[in-house]
Amino acid sequence: MDMGTLMFAGALGLMLIGTAALVLSGHLMRMVFGLALLESGASLLLVLTGYRSGASAPIILDGVVPASMVDPVPQALVLTAIVIALGVQALALGLVLRVHRAYGTFEMREIRRRMERDICDQAGLELPSSNEVPEPYPGSPKPQQGEY
Amino acid sequence: MTPLDHLLLLSALTAVFTLAAGNIRSAGWIATLLYAAQGLALVKMWGMGYGPEVADSSISFQLLGQTMHWRFDSLSWFFALITVGAGFFSSWFASGGWADHYRAQGNSLRLFHSALALNVFSMLVLLASGDLLSLFIGWELVSWASFLIMGLASTRAMGYAMRYLTYAIAGAMAILMGIVMVHAQTGSFEFAALAAAVPGMSNGTLWLLLLLFGGGFGVKMALVPVHLWQAKAYAETPGPGAAFLGAISSRMGLFALILVIIQLVGIGRLVGMSIPYTFLDARDLLAWVAVFTMIFPTYIALRQHDARRLLAWHGVGQTGYMLLGVVIMDDLGSAGGLMHVFNYATYQAMLFMSVSAIMYRTGTADLNQLGGLVTRMPLTFIAMLVGIIGLAGLPPMNGFVSKWLIYRSLVAEGMPLLFVGAVIGTLGTILSVYKLIHNSFLGQLRLEHAKVEEAPWSMTLPMLSLAAIVFLTGYFPGVVLDWISALQASVGLPVLAHHLGGVHFAQGGLDMIWINSLLIAGIAIGALIFYSTGRSQRVHQLDNYAGGHFLSADVRYQYSDNFYPGLLHLIGPWYRKSFRWAESALVSLTDALSLAMQGLYRQVQPSIYLLITVVIALSWVNIR
Amino acid sequence: MNNLILLVVLPLITAFLLPVIDRFSTLAARWSGPLVLLITTFIGASAWLQLGTGAVSLELGGFRPPLGIVLYVDQLALLFAIAVSFGTLLLWPYGNRGGLRQQTLTLLLAGSGSGLALSGDLFNIYVFYELVAVVSYGLAVSLRTPAAFAAAIRYLIISGFGAALSLAGIALIYDATGTLNLAQLAQLAPEKLNDLQGLSAFVLLLIGIGVKAELFPVNTWVPEIYATAPKRVSALLAGLVSKLAVVVILRLLVLIFPQPEAHTLLLVLGILGVLTGELAAWRARDLPRVLAYSSIGQLGIVFIAFSVPGEAGVFAGLAMALHHLLIKPALFLLAERWDGSLAGLTGAAKASPLGAALFVLFSLSLLGIPPLPGFWAKLLVLTSLAQMGAALYYTGAVVIMLGMVLEANYLFRIIARMYQKAPSTGTPPGHGRLDLAISSMLGAGLIAAVFLLAPLADRLQGIAAQTVDVNQYIEAVNPVPTRNPI
Repeated sequence: MDMGTLMFAGALGLMLIGTAALVLSGHLMRMVFGLALLESGASLLLVLTGYRSGASAPIILDGVVPASMVDPVPQALVLTAIVIALGVQALALGLVLRVHRAYGTFEMREIRRRMERDICDQAGLELPSSNEVPEPYPGSPKPQQGEY
Repeated sequence: MTPLDHLLLLSALTAVFTLAAGNIRSAGWIATLLYAAQGLALVKMWGMGYGPEVADSSISFQLLGQTMHWRFDSLSWFFALITVGAGFFSSWFASGGWADHYRAQGNSLRLFHSALALNVFSMLVLLASGDLLSLFIGWELVSWASFLIMGLASTRAMGYAMRYLTYAIAGAMAILMGIVMVHAQTGSFEFAALAAAVPGMSNGTLWLLLLLFGGGFGVKMALVPVHLWQAKAYAETPGPGAAFLGAISSRMGLFALILVIIQLVGIGRLVGMSIPYTFLDARDLLAWVAVFTMIFPTYIALRQHDARRLLAWHGVGQTGYMLLGVVIMDDLGSAGGLMHVFNYATYQAMLFMSVSAIMYRTGTADLNQLGGLVTRMPLTFIAMLVGIIGLAGLPPMNGFVSKWLIYRSLVAEGMPLLFVGAVIGTLGTILSVYKLIHNSFLGQLRLEHAKVEEAPWSMTLPMLSLAAIVFLTGYFPGVVLDWISALQASVGLPVLAHHLGGVHFAQGGLDMIWINSLLIAGIAIGALIFYSTGRSQRVHQLDNYAGGHFLSADVRYQYSDNFYPGLLHLIGPWYRKSFRWAESALVSLTDALSLAMQGLYRQVQPSIYLLITVVIALSWVNIR
Repeated sequence: MNNLILLVVLPLITAFLLPVIDRFSTLAARWSGPLVLLITTFIGASAWLQLGTGAVSLELGGFRPPLGIVLYVDQLALLFAIAVSFGTLLLWPYGNRGGLRQQTLTLLLAGSGSGLALSGDLFNIYVFYELVAVVSYGLAVSLRTPAAFAAAIRYLIISGFGAALSLAGIALIYDATGTLNLAQLAQLAPEKLNDLQGLSAFVLLLIGIGVKAELFPVNTWVPEIYATAPKRVSALLAGLVSKLAVVVILRLLVLIFPQPEAHTLLLVLGILGVLTGELAAWRARDLPRVLAYSSIGQLGIVFIAFSVPGEAGVFAGLAMALHHLLIKPALFLLAERWDGSLAGLTGAAKASPLGAALFVLFSLSLLGIPPLPGFWAKLLVLTSLAQMGAALYYTGAVVIMLGMVLEANYLFRIIARMYQKAPSTGTPPGHGRLDLAISSMLGAGLIAAVFLLAPLADRLQGIAAQTVDVNQYIEAVNPVPTRNPI
């Protein structure tokens, strides 16, 4: 297997790992890291489109053009992509910190539940729950969503 | 500016005036005068009432290669006459005493009058439609104007109006689907294009169009099974508004049905479309829907104890007569159905007005709380009596003519089952309106109503004018039959040969002049005998005894609940509220789906949706 | 015409200079934003008059495409660039709400939005798209409530996922064709992108960009963000940003991926969007989320319209998109003070009669009641669907009509509640004067559109015809033919 195919597999593998972390984990930090891996994988994929086997770096030295070069355009594109990813990840970390400060947890399930509760409270609504949720005893507070 | 433009402009002017100045005291009177002016503008186009003429409007819109134009023909003219007449009488009724009463209850008179004017205007726009697109525009305007007038009285009225709105928009969507399909087939919205394309359409396409258009127009007409919205919505509309709506509003559906299905598609084609695996065809389907619409709601009306609900349910049923007459296709039946539109408009307006008058004077329309008002409100009683005699289809009123024509044609065309259904419907009609008049005017006068006065002249005069119209058109039905034969000629139905007193053909005929004159002569002779001998004696109502006891004024001797116990014992078990169950099942289904969709959007890990979609889409793209 | 680059540059520079200006004079800082946006709107409007019905391509830095970036200025792009400038001007945080941060972010949105509308290069589109995304994350947390932060991080995650996938799609396209210039891609697409790789790239790009365009099923962020962000921001997102994403997808569809599979994908996702959006709105209990779900439904209709190939579909979709662009921001502005539960809106018409009347007007147009423009847009969509004749397209038409029935019910339930008598527990709040003024202006625009329907329709049809004309695009940009890969 030559270098190019290996690297392609590596890029796809990175994307897959990132996707798995993003989709399967319920921990906010892991999701952000998964997103970072995903974006790295995508950038790697983009760079690899310029790969030519047996070619050299796209640098013209002393007016000598190499016989075969890798495509320099994707390299320029990927620089921009990496910077964008960096900015987004920094913003994501800031938001994660804020969320943790507000809700005290990193669990997505819990965060979502509390967000829903806050939205409903602000609008003066009750939490959406089933009509069949039983009251433990008459006059007791209704159980929270996710509890029994 | 053509005469049609004058009419539409006057109507728009009425709407603007009522919007601007509807709150002043004399607004009702001025509005009534404006409706009379509209009537005059309509009369100026009288040529359409006596021959298949067409009057164009100079207004037309060009948009994206389609032209929308408006025109009146005999069909529109007939329905417009009824519309403007209903508006005129309702507005007359709503001026004077009723207006003060309405305003004293805290309602906005401006809103009421402008809603009424907008209804009349939008109906005229609908009647003037010259192609499918302007038909749809007029249809939507009418639906929303009706929504406005139904919802403005109270919160409860708004609840019923919302129910109407859902039905109405669903119906409008069906119509839009039909129009869009026609456009896809023919490339144009013109009526002529549809008429030209019909012979080439397959039966399947025509069935779909029939179901779409029939369903959409049927919602407005409140045909079974989409009839549930009408009764409660009309009952809660303020008095003259209910009179107007009951008189003409649902007939707009009939107008559109005649226009699209009978004029453009043609009954001949309908007869050729058979329902698979049965011996019935599309025309039979329409006829049986009409018969069921006659029977079910009329017997529901029997069980109501609110006078307005009774009348409203009653009104739902009468549309069945009109539709039945029209789909029979021959000259007698269609004339009967169309004349019933005119007749029924007069009765329903008159009956709703008399119930409003009773509500105005006594404060209630609950039949359990009324009784014996004939001595206190004789003129109102006469109006209701004339209406009931007409509804029952007895001479000397015009209802006799229309019912006779329909029965005669049903038998002549060889449709005995439909005839039996129609007769059962008439039985229900007579029973329900008798309950109405018995429990409000006849019977025992209640103590609290002993001092009730007759309704003011602003209310009794319109009612009596309508009664006079009913009587006169019963005496000389040829007046209305002229208009109807012009309509038949323009729509493509066989034309009824008639004369001033009625119809005449080889097997027999109907001459109302003779019948009525004989009837009146007989009554006159009887009255002469009765009043000249002087043997009769006036006795107080309570100077009587029952069950060995003398009657006293504080005991209640008449009830409205379970008024026909024997009949209801027989047919009661058949009323299982099935249609209401179906409606509520549909609503529950939507609720459940809605909550499910909201749950979909409350996903903890939305990324999984993205992943699944990408995977599915990529694999689908692979397989292609 | 060359000064159109100012549409991108001027707001960007001003955004970064705002803190500096603020040091010297708060008054100048407060008004420099609207001033800049006014200037850019004027530049855009004068370019519109100059453009007529042609198309111009601006080569940035003098570099020829495909290596150089081009700004492609045709009627569609310019229309949306002007809409971005004017829209951000209308929805500016006047009165110093939220302070400097808000103004900076709004200016950034204006600059990057204009860039997104005008760009003619795929990677440039990606960069501006990411810019818009970051700005929208910042705008979404304006109220700084915990719920806003949570909604924003959830939005970021799904949007970032989509962006990474679209980057992978761009990689696939570059691999197949060796260029990222839209005109050159349009030239090469019939031979090189008509296969599996091309369609896969389209799928990735569609779903990636579809996150902003509220495509089903990546639109779960919509109700959360619209409920927790200030309504002005929701107006910006729902009105402007989603339309920009839709325009990008349209360009891709028309220029590069005209295959029937692409259209079918769009149709299916649009149908599902309409169904879920309208059904979810039926039982929503607060006004911002009703508007959010309704927005999902309306954009679903736009996608269904675009799935009809040819000029008819583009015309119908553009009509619906522009109509939505006019109405949704106005509705969100009205929801600014009415963002409590629906039950709390009882008697709101007494508190704000003009607001309630405007709400009725916009609801009627949203529903598609003649003679308002919404009806004509829906009629265009339905006629073009019926003319396709295939079963799936008829399903789309039926679903749109079903959506209308549901919309009529839930919108008018709210309106009926507004016109009831207020309960004794308290009347709902009235509207701020600014919100009311802007909504009235948009309402007046809607009514004016009713009277100017024929000329507007003709102009829009011309725009649609130009958008579908791939040859004109290629000729206007005139890229250098691809040199052999090194």
